[in-house]
Order: sequence, then structure tokens, then C-alpha cells
Amino acid sequence: MPERDSQLADLVDLGARRGAAYADARHVEREFEAVSVRDGEVESVTRSGDRGIGYRVLHRGAWGFAATDRVDESSLRNTVDEAFARAEAAASTRAGHVTLAPVAAQRGEYRTTLVRDPFAVPVAERIALLRAADANLKGPHAVSRRGSVAAYRTRKHLVTSEGTDVRQEIVESGAGVSVTAVKAGAKPAQRYDGRLTRQAGWEFIEHLDLASRAARYRDDAEAMLDAPLASERPTTLVFTPEFLALLVHESCGHPTEADRVLEYEVAFAGTTFMWPKDRGALRYGSEHVSMTADATIPGGMGTFGWDDDGVPAMRTKLIDRGTFVGYLTSRETAAALGMPVAIGSARAEGWQHFPIVRMVNVSLDPGTQSYDTLISGVEDGLLMESPASYSLDDKRQNFHFSTQSARVIRNGALEGYARGVSFQSLTPAFWGRCDGVADDWELHGFLSCAKGEPLQLMRVGHGAAHARFRDVPIEVRG
Amino acid sequence: MTALGRDAMLAPLEAALREANGDEAELWVHRRRSAITRYARNEIHQNALADETHVQARVVVGRAMGIASANSLDPAELRRLVADAATAARESAPNADWTGLAEPSPVAEPRSYDADTARADAAHQADAIKRITAAVKARGFRAAGTHQIELTEDSLANTKGVARYAPSTMAYLRALVTSDTGTGWAEDLGWSARSLDADGVASRAIEKAALDRERTQLAPGDYEAVFEELAVAEVLRFMSLTGLTGQTLRDGRSFMKDAIGEQVTGPRFSLWDDGLDDRTLAIPFDVEGTAKQRVALVERGVAKGVVHDRQSAKWFDTRSTGHAADPRRYGVGGHAGNLTMAGGDAKREQLIRAVTRGVLITRFHYTNTPDPKRATMTGTTRDGTFLIEDGRITRALANVRYTMSALDLFAGIDLLGPQRLARDWWSSNGMGSIVCLCPPIKVSRATITGSSPI
Repeated sequence: MPERDSQLADLVDLGARRGAAYADARHVEREFEAVSVRDGEVESVTRSGDRGIGYRVLHRGAWGFAATDRVDESSLRNTVDEAFARAEAAASTRAGHVTLAPVAAQRGEYRTTLVRDPFAVPVAERIALLRAADANLKGPHAVSRRGSVAAYRTRKHLVTSEGTDVRQEIVESGAGVSVTAVKAGAKPAQRYDGRLTRQAGWEFIEHLDLASRAARYRDDAEAMLDAPLASERPTTLVFTPEFLALLVHESCGHPTEADRVLEYEVAFAGTTFMWPKDRGALRYGSEHVSMTADATIPGGMGTFGWDDDGVPAMRTKLIDRGTFVGYLTSRETAAALGMPVAIGSARAEGWQHFPIVRMVNVSLDPGTQSYDTLISGVEDGLLMESPASYSLDDKRQNFHFSTQSARVIRNGALEGYARGVSFQSLTPAFWGRCDGVADDWELHGFLSCAKGEPLQLMRVGHGAAHARFRDVPIEVRG
Repeated sequence: MTALGRDAMLAPLEAALREANGDEAELWVHRRRSAITRYARNEIHQNALADETHVQARVVVGRAMGIASANSLDPAELRRLVADAATAARESAPNADWTGLAEPSPVAEPRSYDADTARADAAHQADAIKRITAAVKARGFRAAGTHQIELTEDSLANTKGVARYAPSTMAYLRALVTSDTGTGWAEDLGWSARSLDADGVASRAIEKAALDRERTQLAPGDYEAVFEELAVAEVLRFMSLTGLTGQTLRDGRSFMKDAIGEQVTGPRFSLWDDGLDDRTLAIPFDVEGTAKQRVALVERGVAKGVVHDRQSAKWFDTRSTGHAADPRRYGVGGHAGNLTMAGGDAKREQLIRAVTRGVLITRFHYTNTPDPKRATMTGTTRDGTFLIEDGRITRALANVRYTMSALDLFAGIDLLGPQRLARDWWSSNGMGSIVCLCPPIKVSRATITGSSPI
């Protein structure tokens, strides 16, 4: 079912003729290919795809949305009718009208820059790569080994009643390896990374060097089985960029989403502790902590040409040297908060989803010192390598993280492992303990940030460098 | 919303399979029409309907598996899908662990479908929300939440002659009521819209919000506690994911490892998985086409066993219990998604009266498991956390962080109330597929490890 050339424009025109103040139609086609290997056996080769149209109207001051994967005339007519019926039902509960921050009509195309199309890589080559990684996951106590590579392509066409008509083709590549080690009398140890994704071609998979990574994960898991328990105390923690990517995501990305301020997510994802009155005043972290939202970073999983409001990708500061300064906004939420422009954060997972405020690439800005300098300043502490369990409260203010693997730092050098480490903190207290960020900034990608009803899994990017936090109270569980 | 029906959902699959080119082939369709109305500050802010079809083909050639999926029941597209899966199988490599597709067997009739619910429209959903917001506004509070009506149809056919079809409906209404000082939560869930009581939801949430004032912080420590049904469902989620599947048992990550037949928790705790219970949300077969069975998991505190899909059944040289999961959400190795925990007859007031000094927990937010082997859960409470002293609620509490093994929590059950349909935070928000029939409980010990600010 390729979309007809004028199909979206016809739907938008129909919306305007029926009295909608605004209408948009979005055709999305998604492709996915994955190869997975479990314990050396090829588990499956998977190819999937879907396509459909999402139709949104602003009518009588309220939104209505309907989506369908059937594009015959009758189904599309029903979809339009349903969107209007839903807008009318919503309007019957509203005192005020939804308004949208202005944006100039947009025209153009955006495509991911890539070297080698991941869909064109022969399956045999992908299997060989995974089997090489699997061989390196084998260890004396490894009971379960998995590896996978995946390719994603999204083609999106958005037409709005305000004259926007933009097309995008986004290609992403990803991989993952995991190992579970079990030994009698010891806690099972798992080492994995499900966030090795990039808006890029197969060259990113090659860059990951899965075989070396697998060997490192095996060694970590085996070592964690025999590692001594850490001692429970306030200590210095150094976090890897990988670990900080998740901390930034959970404790800065989410609470700066403007729809949380408006309580749109209060019954599911929650609200925030960063309110409009706090902008420019709330001490979020130390002076070493700055964070930026940037949908223009090459390769970022939150990079695009335009968001699903048709707002062009841009960059904005969220935390400036420790002070909260900005929000992620859609056109609707920007207008509701009295902001002159939206920063382009309205995103929908697929054709079947209503665009809501999502992260783009939200990153901890790099510092100026090297990793070696950062770690040489630690007399006694831990390097937190990769997150395991994490749990946040509904304001993103109270969190608890544990780690898959922790390395002992003594007199500025790594020596051995410690197990059982977790920590809980209030967000400003945690970031306030940061006394240094290194210059080894790197980008990480998440495939499935969850938010919205029905649930929408969004790709987002996070950059970070190693960073050091003083006097963090840790918990230890045997 | 209208169901397509058995013929429209099955006949195209059987036709496409007749032309399948491979040793074994299977087509599974999950069609979902979901109408979700979200409201906040007493107004509907999102009102969306999505009609989507997921079709998955699995084709096996020489023990090598190819999988392809798309979203159309068009005969030509189905044929192409099966051919794509066969191509993928040929590009793949043989899997020595392959189990073969399911064989035909009797299956129960679907019981979680209501045609009137499927027909509920946008105005019906808005009316329920207006009943809530009217009651809430009358108290000077504001409400937020969701009204969801969902119609799903599943069909599955394979080249061994399996042909399954089941429709189901789901109705869900929740309200978070916010006052100037606190919040309160209530919800109803069922397979019929008739099980949603908007006035009751409003009244329960308002009552909690009104009580939630002048919060105080609770010091970390062990406390007696009352866990309401949503809080119990949250704990059960982690038992399920970390310990009740063939995969976790095989990996040695399950608390059942080397403990089957042993006492693992208290004698007042019994748990089973039963997708055939007509009070729950389920269809009678899994995504491999295997008929679902009732599986005893823990009986009076003694570990009895785990659930299996075809893969884990092979690992354990047994038969699948009909617990293969949607591969878009869970991995291979079984999924216990229709949990039933034995209840009792204690009323809510009796549970509270039994506490000398402790905490009442309505529900949790964004939980996780720092120690999967012990089914340990950590999470913060929300929307109704209260201090109980001498058998009555005396203070509202700032949200607390709870961290404890499910086995230790359930070892301390003193009293149980009647079962109710409930889902954990993850499943109620679409991030999981676990539905629980579970009771509120009074326990002798719950470990509180921290408090949020007031």
C-alpha cells in the first residue's frame, strides 16, 4: 500500500473543509530486520514492516486523532469521521481551546547519512559476526549467551493544513550481546547492553567490535561471581558515559518534558519537580553540570529533520552550569506555557500514535579534563560501568540504580571488582555532588523510551562523558 | 468498533498457508482497535483511536527459522509475507533446539469478549469522564486519567492443522484526583464496560485525595503494612518475570532453582496462572497456538513449578503449558501473565485494624528488581500512602521507597482480602502483559528504605 501522492493533502483539505482549525496527515512506513543468535544457534532471522496513516484534527478547540492501516476510500472516510467525533467528544469537556505556537510552513526532505545500508548486508555476514561474538561470550560459568543485530528504516511524510509538506527517511543500526554466568553459592551475574544503537549504517555495527565487547562482558560476568561485596559507605563514584546516558535520560530528560508540567502524564509517567517558576533559579546540580537537547547531532537516535508538528530540528539548553533553564516542548505545550516557539519535541512512535512531547538527543555537556585526570583524583571509590535495575518516582526526584558491574578504584587506578552496589538519591542532591566531567564525550542511543497511552516506544539519544561524584551513599546487597 | 470475526481472521491465513513453501509454516494475527481517551485537569486532552493489525509468519526450512511480519490481511500480501519468511529461513542456519510447531488439540471457548463493549464510542467514553470530573470539581479538586476501550482479535493457523480464533475486549477507567495537598487513585478494569463504575472510581479516588494532607516523612525501617491490590500486583510482576518461567529456571536465575517442592515463602501464599478463569483478561491459546493450562506455581508457600512455552518445554522434557509470549514484548522461555493469588475474606477495615504501627500502600511507580534471584522489588509509592497507628489511618505520608524480596514479604502475610482484577504499573501502561486476580493483604513486615520529600 504505497501512499498515493495527493492522499495526505486530500485528507488535510477535507479536514479544513469540515471546519477544523488545523489538520495534519502523516503516512509512516517502517521496516525492521534482525538476526539473533542464542547459545551459538541462530534463533531467527526476522523481517517486519508496517505502514499506515495517522490523522489529527484540532476542532472546536480540542484534538481528535484516528489512525488506520487500511487506505481504501471507505476506511479513510471512517478515519476522518472518527477523528472529528473524538475532537467533538473532547471539546464537550473543555473550557479552553488548544492553541499552537507558531511555525513557518516547512518543505523539504531529510535522510540519514550512511556508508553501508544495513538492510543490504548479507544475512550470512551478520550471522558470522554474531557467532564470532558468541564464541567470546563462552566462559566457565556462562549459562546463557545471546547476540543480535538489527536494522531499522522509517519513511515518514507529513502534510499539514498550514502548508507544511516534509518527507524523511531515517535508518538506524543496532546490536546487543548478553551473557549470564551462574556459579553455585554465588549470585548470578548478567552483563549486557541493549543500547548500542545509532542513526547510521552497518559501519556503526563494525565500529562496535562486538567480538571484543563480548569478551569483556564475559570477563566482567565471571569476575562479578567471585567479587567481594562492596562496603556500604558514602564514597566517590565515577560513572561511564553509558551509565550516565541513562541517568541523564531518567533524571533530566523526563522531568524537562513540558507535558508533565501540564499534568498530561500525571496518571502514567508522572509530573516533574522542575516547574516554570523554577526556570533560571532551581539549582539542579553543580557548576560542572550542563545539559543540552539537540535534534541535529549526526547519528543521534533523536536526530531528525522535523518533528511530528513539522517544527525543524534545533538545539536548546536545559541545564546551564547547574541551573535549570529549559523545557522540551511541542507546539501545544509551548503555547500553553507561554513560550514563543516550540523546540521541536513532538514525536510519535508510528502512524498509529498521537505526537506527544519526547526527548530528542539530551546530553550531558563534556568537560575539559581527560578521563585519566578525572580518575587520578579518586583515592578510594568505584567505577560504575553499566546500569542494571533502575527505579524512579513520579516526579523524577527520587531514584534508585544498581549496576551490572563495578570496578574498584584505589589511588587513581582500577583494581578488581566489587559487587552488590546500588544507590538511591534525590536528583538535585546527586547532580550536586558532581565535581568533574571528562572530555571523552560519546553518544548512546535508546530504542524504547516508554511514554504515552497507548504506549509509544521512542528512539532517543544521549551523550555523556565519564563524570565523578563525591560522597555518594551506596547500598550493598549480598 | 466491530469484530472482523472468525472467517475474516482465519480464512486468509489458511489460504496463504496452502501455498507455503517450507517444512512448517505458521501465521498469527493480532488485530487491535484501541480507543484511548486521556484527561487531565478535568478536561480531555488526547482522544485517539487506532486500528492496527499485526501479522507474523514463521516458516521453518530444515530446522532453520525465518520470521516476517506486516500489517495487512490482504491475500496477496499474506502470500508475500510467507514467502519472505521462507526466504529468511533459507538465509538463516539450522537450530538444533527447534521444537516443531504446535499440533492440533482441543481448546476452550473464549470468555473475555463483550460485543456491547466493543461498540462503545467516543461519546460514551467522554460521558464516563464527565461523571468523574463533575464529582471531583464539586470537591474543588482536579482529576486526570484514562478511559480505554479495546477490541482485540487473535487468530493462528499452521501447516499441522492448528486453526484458532478468539476475540476479546478490555475496558479500563482510572482517575488520579489531585487536591492542593495530595493525590488519590482509583480504577476499574474488566473485559466488559459494565464493570466500570465511574461514580465509584471518583468516590474512591476523592476519598484518598482528601485524606492526603499534612504529609509527614517515614523513617526507613521495617513496618507492618497493608498492600492494596495494585501494590500486590506490582510485587507479583517481579515474581513472574524473575522466577516463574522455564527460561529463568534454566538459567538458574529463578528463586525456584533447586527449590521445587521446598517451602519458599509463607503458608498463606498460593499462586497459580490461569488464563481460563473467566474473571481475567485472556484468550484460551498462546501465540504458538497451544491451549492454555492452569499451572500451580506456589501452593501454601511451597514452590510447585513454572510455566513453559514449546522451547522451554523441550529444555525440561515436558509439554508446553500454553505460555508462549508475544515475541514483540517478551523473550522465549514462557511467560506467566494471568496470575491468580489466593485471597481471603478480610475487609479493608479489618486489614487496617490489624496494624499496630505501619503503612498503607495504594500503588507503586516505576518499579524494578535489584536482586532478581530473590524476586526483590524496589519502587516508590504514590497516590495514597498513609501511616496506620493502633488500627486506624492517622497521617498521610510522603511517598516512600520500598525495597524487599517478594518471598520475604509474602512470608509475613497475616490477613487476605477478596481478589480483584489488577495490573502492575508497567502492565497498566502498556509496558507489560501481566494481569492479576489478587487480594489486598496485611503483612507483618515491609521494608521501607527511603522517603521522597514532602
